[in-house]
Amino acid sequence: MVANVPLSAMRRELGDEAVVSGRSRAWIALRGNPAFWIGAGGVVVLILLALLAPILAPHAPDLQFRDNGLTAAGDPVGPSAEFPFGTDRLGRDYLSRLLFGAQTSLTVGIGANAIATLVGVLVGATAAYVGNRSVSRRLGRWAVRLPFPVSSLLMRATDVMLSFPALLLAIALVAVIGPSLLLVLIVIASVMWTGTARIVYGRVLVVKELDFVEAARALGASGSRIFFGHILPHVLSLIIVYATLGIAGTVLFEATLSYLGVGVPPPAPSWGTMIADHVGYYATDPRLLMLPGLAIMGTILAFSLLGDALRDALDPHNWR
Amino acid sequence: MKPNGIVRRLGPLVTAAVLVASCSSSQATSSPAASGGTPSHGGTLSTAYQGDIQSLDPAIAYDTESWAMEELLFSTLVTFDRNAKLVPELAESMPTLPADGKTYTFTLRKGVNFVKSDGSVLREMTADDVVYSLNRVLDPNLTPNPSPVATSFFGNIVGAADVIAGKVTAASGIKALDPNTVEIDLVQPDSTLLDVLADPFGSIVPKEYAKEDSAAFSAAPIGTGPFYLKSYTKGQEAVFVRNPQYWQAGLPYLDEIDVHVGVDANSQLQQVEAGTLDITGDPFPSGSFTSVVNDPRYKDRIVHQTLVSVLYIWMDTQSQDTPLKDAKVRQAVNYAINKDNILKIVHNEGVIANCIFPPSMPAGYDPNCKPYTYDVAKAKQLMADAGYPNGFSTTFYTDTADPDPQIAQAIQQDLAAINIKVNIVTQEWATFLTTAETPHAAPMGYVSWYQDYPDPSDFVDPILSCATAVKGGSNFALYCNKDVDAKAAAARGEQDPAKRTAEYQAIESQIMADAPWVPIWHQDWYTLLSPRVQTFYLHPVWYYDLGNYSVSGG
Repeated sequence: MVANVPLSAMRRELGDEAVVSGRSRAWIALRGNPAFWIGAGGVVVLILLALLAPILAPHAPDLQFRDNGLTAAGDPVGPSAEFPFGTDRLGRDYLSRLLFGAQTSLTVGIGANAIATLVGVLVGATAAYVGNRSVSRRLGRWAVRLPFPVSSLLMRATDVMLSFPALLLAIALVAVIGPSLLLVLIVIASVMWTGTARIVYGRVLVVKELDFVEAARALGASGSRIFFGHILPHVLSLIIVYATLGIAGTVLFEATLSYLGVGVPPPAPSWGTMIADHVGYYATDPRLLMLPGLAIMGTILAFSLLGDALRDALDPHNWR
Repeated sequence: MKPNGIVRRLGPLVTAAVLVASCSSSQATSSPAASGGTPSHGGTLSTAYQGDIQSLDPAIAYDTESWAMEELLFSTLVTFDRNAKLVPELAESMPTLPADGKTYTFTLRKGVNFVKSDGSVLREMTADDVVYSLNRVLDPNLTPNPSPVATSFFGNIVGAADVIAGKVTAASGIKALDPNTVEIDLVQPDSTLLDVLADPFGSIVPKEYAKEDSAAFSAAPIGTGPFYLKSYTKGQEAVFVRNPQYWQAGLPYLDEIDVHVGVDANSQLQQVEAGTLDITGDPFPSGSFTSVVNDPRYKDRIVHQTLVSVLYIWMDTQSQDTPLKDAKVRQAVNYAINKDNILKIVHNEGVIANCIFPPSMPAGYDPNCKPYTYDVAKAKQLMADAGYPNGFSTTFYTDTADPDPQIAQAIQQDLAAINIKVNIVTQEWATFLTTAETPHAAPMGYVSWYQDYPDPSDFVDPILSCATAVKGGSNFALYCNKDVDAKAAAARGEQDPAKRTAEYQAIESQIMADAPWVPIWHQDWYTLLSPRVQTFYLHPVWYYDLGNYSVSGG
């Protein structure tokens, strides 16, 4: 009876995991999703543009062309052979600023998000895995149990951070300390980690009660081995998805801060600053607003598509 | 002062000097009226601003938008005419200049009435009201608080210090000799008393209505001006209606003035273009400037005038941690700045400032003052002479209001050419002002100074004297030259207008040689009018003299 069963029937019989590993299933799901290719392609192109900006840019991004970069009336000039996308209000090449602006956006987007993810995972996972403990101490004749609520402390701290209006906090921090790229990075990270922390917290709470964790514990595995070897791999896909989606939010956050004048200090190019500087030109020279606007939109779209595709692919419910 | 409703705080005014003879108005510049002819009577004029009206209490308000509206409601003993010349208003004539420079006597015009908010007469104004109004400005119980600017302006009146300190309620130096005569005594002879009285701070208010609650009086102001306030909806509109009891026969021309607030500069332009608004209250947005100014349809409808202002870079002359304390370095910076380029960035919306005093000031401007020209080689030489051939780095502060960060970046590139590496810090106005007013917190920065009254003393005493080189003072360069201080004290009291002008020009040259600043440009104020506006001009002190305009077809 068993001899001639085809492979496809065996899959149906035994479930997917028995035949094809989850990792491969995820890749199969990704491969067939056009959103993944568009998103990943966009992200690769963006990173290349940012890395190759010094080679691709026709001019230095901060160099002001005072004679041929401005009209006699002091307005930006339109696209030409010398300035493919025209110039800005100070006579600087717009294409060069857009390219170097990608460096700013991606540095902040990826950097701030990496810090935020790291902090978020640490806080969320620690809170969930360690839980609320208490410590026994002997004080003279009495044995005292002191509460040591790791979980409550960390998660309430997260709630406090979440309840802050993120943008106002960022503006206040920049106003007090003074703007710089590093500060923008830290400020954004300090308000973005809370979401990751809450999501990781919830997932670890569930995973740590599952049977295989129980089994590992029964076999005498150490706490760190259980955490890194068994729990973390089960939340990794979640972390990857949120880290990718988070970059889109972070890029927008940086643009918002720069638009409000509390982002990277001038003359460093930033898409948000480029929009803010030229708001008055919306009627007379919309190119100045549309180009950085499209750059921001494209970047957010690419990372969102990639993140969505990853989420769909890594979710076992979608493997069919 | 700073326009657009942004209140510009001022350092304490230095009181000093001998006497008198204020602005001898000889070369006031003023744009021609948009349309001439005989003014029509009647009709409604409308204007609009982005910011709301700060206050209509003349003892408190200190921004050009509020000042323009207070000029509708109130009158002062003397006032500035359209050429910034001092002329009598509530006084029958200009007071004769006293021999000792300390005692001024004003004879009041008879039959001037306060008008209520329904257009009826409250009662006739008397010398008691004048005494009360001037003391009210000094009243320490004025809520939310008395204006530090106004109290410093009036601080030289005998007894003013006691009123400010709360010891007495009336200064002994402000006296009603009879119902039509007021005498003001000064501690030190000072010609700028008349300038100060002509500012809206010197407005005469009825003593039984204007109490210590400034907000209450601002909501229901009563004065002797050509208009009264009919209604004011916060954030939307203020309606001023013609005062039928106005003392000057045949004036004002208009029946009503509507001031809309919360309208941004782009909308103001669009509304004037569409014919639903008569005057743009705020400057044109940078992106639209060129197209509006060059539009042939608006050729006769754009009016502009150089403001009595100077926009400049300050350098910390007493800096301990940057080479800016070396005058040679500061002179090098003066040679290194390409002012033509900066003026181009602001669409040539003004004139180059070679020295401190603007050409639009009635006295003091020196067309021959041009100590520094754009010369990078010379700047480099001076840097080398000072011992900094490889330059240095410093921090440069500016506020976030457009186009200031743009100008800072142009300056950054100019200074990079002589190896001065500048890190720009942009701060929101209030934070920026605190930084600038803290000694040594800002080694360099870009800021503007708009006159309180059009006299050269207002460009030296409050911003370039030793007394203001302190925490909270407006002398951001911490410039302190005892010789200049002494000369400024003498010039302030000089009686002969020609001599006074020469003295101020000498002071200006000396300051420029010490180079605490790089004066960059003097701003022009631009406005677009609807075709129906007549008898329009820009006023050198409060920009819009709304009460004297008229509209065709009334």
